[in-house]
Amino acid sequence: MDEILAAQGLDTNEGQIPRENWFESSETLQKLRKNKKFPTIWCAGCGIGIVMGALIRAIDHLGLKNDEVALVAGIGCTARMPVYMDFNTLHTTHGRALAFATGLKIARPDMKVIAIMGDGDALAIGGNHFLHAARRNIGITALVVNNSIYGMTGGQYSPTTPLGARATTSPYGNVEYPMPVCEVAAAAGATYVARSTVYHALELDRYLQEAIQVDGFSVVEAVSYCHTTFGRLNKLGSATDMMLALKDTSISKSAFDKLSPEERLANTKVVRGVLHTNKTRMEYTKTYEQMAARVSQTEVRRPRHVGGQ
Amino acid sequence: MPEGILQAQTSNPPSATAKKGPRGQVIIFATWCKGCRICVDLCPTEVLAMGPDEDHPRIVAPEKCTACHFCDTHCPDLALVVKRLD
Amino acid sequence: MAVKLMQGNEAIGWGAIAAGCRFYAGYPITPSTEVAEILSRELPKVGGKFIQMEDEIASMAAIIGASIGGLKSMTATSGPGISLMQENLGYAAMTEIPCVVVDVQRLGPSTGQPTAASQGDLMQARWGTHGDHPIIVLSPVSVRQAFDLTIQAFNLSEKFRTPVILLTDEIIGHMRERVELPDFKSVEVAERVVTEPPEKYIPFRNEPGDVPPLASFGLGYRYHITALFHDQMGFPTQRLDEIDPWLERFNHKLDRHLDEILMLEQDLQRGARTAIVTFGASARSARHALKTARARGDKVSMLTLLTVWPFPETAVEQLADQVERLIVPEMNLGQMAYEVERIAGRRKVVRVNRANGEMVTPQMILDAIEG
Repeated sequence: MDEILAAQGLDTNEGQIPRENWFESSETLQKLRKNKKFPTIWCAGCGIGIVMGALIRAIDHLGLKNDEVALVAGIGCTARMPVYMDFNTLHTTHGRALAFATGLKIARPDMKVIAIMGDGDALAIGGNHFLHAARRNIGITALVVNNSIYGMTGGQYSPTTPLGARATTSPYGNVEYPMPVCEVAAAAGATYVARSTVYHALELDRYLQEAIQVDGFSVVEAVSYCHTTFGRLNKLGSATDMMLALKDTSISKSAFDKLSPEERLANTKVVRGVLHTNKTRMEYTKTYEQMAARVSQTEVRRPRHVGGQ
Repeated sequence: MPEGILQAQTSNPPSATAKKGPRGQVIIFATWCKGCRICVDLCPTEVLAMGPDEDHPRIVAPEKCTACHFCDTHCPDLALVVKRLD
Repeated sequence: MAVKLMQGNEAIGWGAIAAGCRFYAGYPITPSTEVAEILSRELPKVGGKFIQMEDEIASMAAIIGASIGGLKSMTATSGPGISLMQENLGYAAMTEIPCVVVDVQRLGPSTGQPTAASQGDLMQARWGTHGDHPIIVLSPVSVRQAFDLTIQAFNLSEKFRTPVILLTDEIIGHMRERVELPDFKSVEVAERVVTEPPEKYIPFRNEPGDVPPLASFGLGYRYHITALFHDQMGFPTQRLDEIDPWLERFNHKLDRHLDEILMLEQDLQRGARTAIVTFGASARSARHALKTARARGDKVSMLTLLTVWPFPETAVEQLADQVERLIVPEMNLGQMAYEVERIAGRRKVVRVNRANGEMVTPQMILDAIEG
C-alpha cells in the first residue's frame, strides 16, 4: 500500500482538500448542510445514507431551489435524514410526518414537500395518515425506507417484517404477515407508486425524480436492510452481504410481467419498478382552490344552527 | 465549522502518454467514511482496498477505474466522489 | 358587524378570522363542532384553508405544519380530543411553533356526557403532555369574551412562540348572547417579523430576549426544527452547555412576561372577608351569587381569571392576604382549588364543586358565602 502511495507521490497528509473545495468537488454535495456535523449518525454500511444520496441527486437533477423544498420526517433511523440536507427540514413525532406535511403543503402548495419515513413510522403508527394522504391525493412525496425492522429502538418487528423472521420482540419468529406498502398506497388512491432497493440506487434516483414531479400523492418505497439488528438476529451477514441479497431477491417489473400467471403467484421476490400510476384524480390543494373559487361566486347555504352575516 | 484537517486522497489524472488510462478519478473523504467496505467489496475492477488500519479505503489501482459510479452511489456516507475523465 | 344574537362557538370562529387565522384543521367532536363548521364556511371566503383531518392527532399535527408554513392556525376540540393531541401539543411547545387549540370542555372522564358541560380539563390544559413545558391557557366568560380572547390567543401565541389553549365549555360554546363585534380591520394583530438575513438567522437563539423571532419555512431561511433537545441552530444535541441555557429560556419565557399575559377581572369590595375565585361558566353563577349577597349586605370580593395558566399567583396571594376565606366554585372536583390552596393555604379555601354536567348554581355559592 505504501509503495502505491509513494509511486503516486502521495503520503497520508497529501491531498488535503479544503472544506470549500470538498463541497465544490461534487454538484450534489451542494445540497448538504455546511453547518452540520458529519459523518452521519447511521451505522457503518446502513442503506439509509444511500437513499439520501439518491434523494439529493434527484432534487439536484430537477433543478429545484433549496428554498422550495421541505422535508418532513417522523421518528426512527430513516427520519434522521433531513437534518443533513440544506432544505426546510421538520423532524416531527412518530408516525405523524404526513399529517404535519399536509398542513405545510396546504399552507405552501408551491413547495415540494417530501415526507421521509421508515416502515414502522409510515405504516404502523402512521398507517392511518398514510391511507388518508393517499386518499386525498395531496401533493406530497412519501419516501418510505423499508428495512423491515424497528432499527432505532434495537430491532423489534415492524409491519413489514417477514413471517417467521426473528426480532427482539419475535424471538421465536414473527407470527404476523407483512403489509404490502405499494399495494396499500395504490388502493388508497396514490397517483404514483414505485419501488426499488438500495442496491439499485440509480433506479431510486429516477423514481424519486418522477415522484417529486408528480402532482398528487406519490410513494417511493426504498427497500433497504438493517445489518446491525435484523441482519444479526437472522444471521444475514455484513452490510455488503445484505446489499447483494437485495439484488438476488428482487425482480424488475418488466421481468415480472413476462412471467406466467403461475410463476407470478409463486413469486417471492421484491418487484422493482413503477408499480402504479393513476392520473384520474386532481391533487388535493388544487381541488380545494377550485372549490374556493366557486364559493366566492355563489351563495352558500348556511347550516341551520349557525347565525353569521 | 472546522473539523480538523481533512484526510483525503485522490487518484492522479492520467498523463498524456498513457494508452488506456482510467476513465474516472476517485476522491475519498476519509473523515466521513465509517469503513463499511461496500465500495471495496463491490467495485467491479478492484480499484479500492481497505487501508492498513481498516479505517477507510485507499485507491490501489487507479488506472482500472471505469467511472461506473457504483462506489459513489452506494457509499452510505457520501464519502466517495467519482469524476469522469474525458 | 351589526348587533347579533351569536353563539359562543361562532364567536370563536369570528375571533379567529379577525385575528388572521387562515388555516383550520380539526376533527368533529361535540360540543366544539360548530367552530369547525363555521370556519369551513368562512375560511375559503377570506383565502383561508380548511381541512377535516382523519383524527385529532393529525389535526394538531396539521396546524403545526401549516403554522411553520406561514399560516396562523387553529383547531377546536373537546376533552377527549385534547387527550389525543397531547403529544403534538408538547411538540408545538418544544419547537416553539405558534398555534391555537380551542377546548370546548364537556363532561368526562372518557366519553362522559358529550352534550353536558364541565371544567374538568383545567389541569389537562396545563400539564397535558409529558415533561415540563410552559403554556398559556385563556378562559372566556361570555360570548363577546370568546371572540376577544380568541384574538388574544393568536396574538400571545405569535408573541411568545407557544401553543395557546382557549379553554371554554359547552355552556359558553353553545349559549347565545347579544354581541356587537368590532370592525375586523380595527383589531390589533401580532405578526412574525424577522429582521436579520438568512445567513445571520439563529432560529432558537437564547439571547437577546426570551423569544427568538420566527421565520416561516420557504422564505429563504432554511433551518432544522426538531423536538429533540436542540442547540440554537435547531440541531439535535446532548451537550449540557447547549441544553441548560435553552431550558432556562424555554421555561421562563412566559413567567418573565406575566404582565403581558395575565388577564383577570377584579371586583374588590372594601372590608370583604370573603372572596370568590373562579373562571369560565362558573363565573356566571358567581356573578349572580355576588350580586345577591351584596344586595343583602354581605361584603364579598371576586376574582375572575381570564388567563388561567400561567396561574395568576400574585393576584391570588394578594387577595388571600386580605380575606379569611376564598371560595372556589368550579365544574370539576377541585382543580383550580389545588392552585388556590397552594397559594393561600388549605384552611382558607372553600371548594364548591359539581362534576355531573350541571352548573354550580348561584345558591350553592351563596351557601358557601354564608358559611
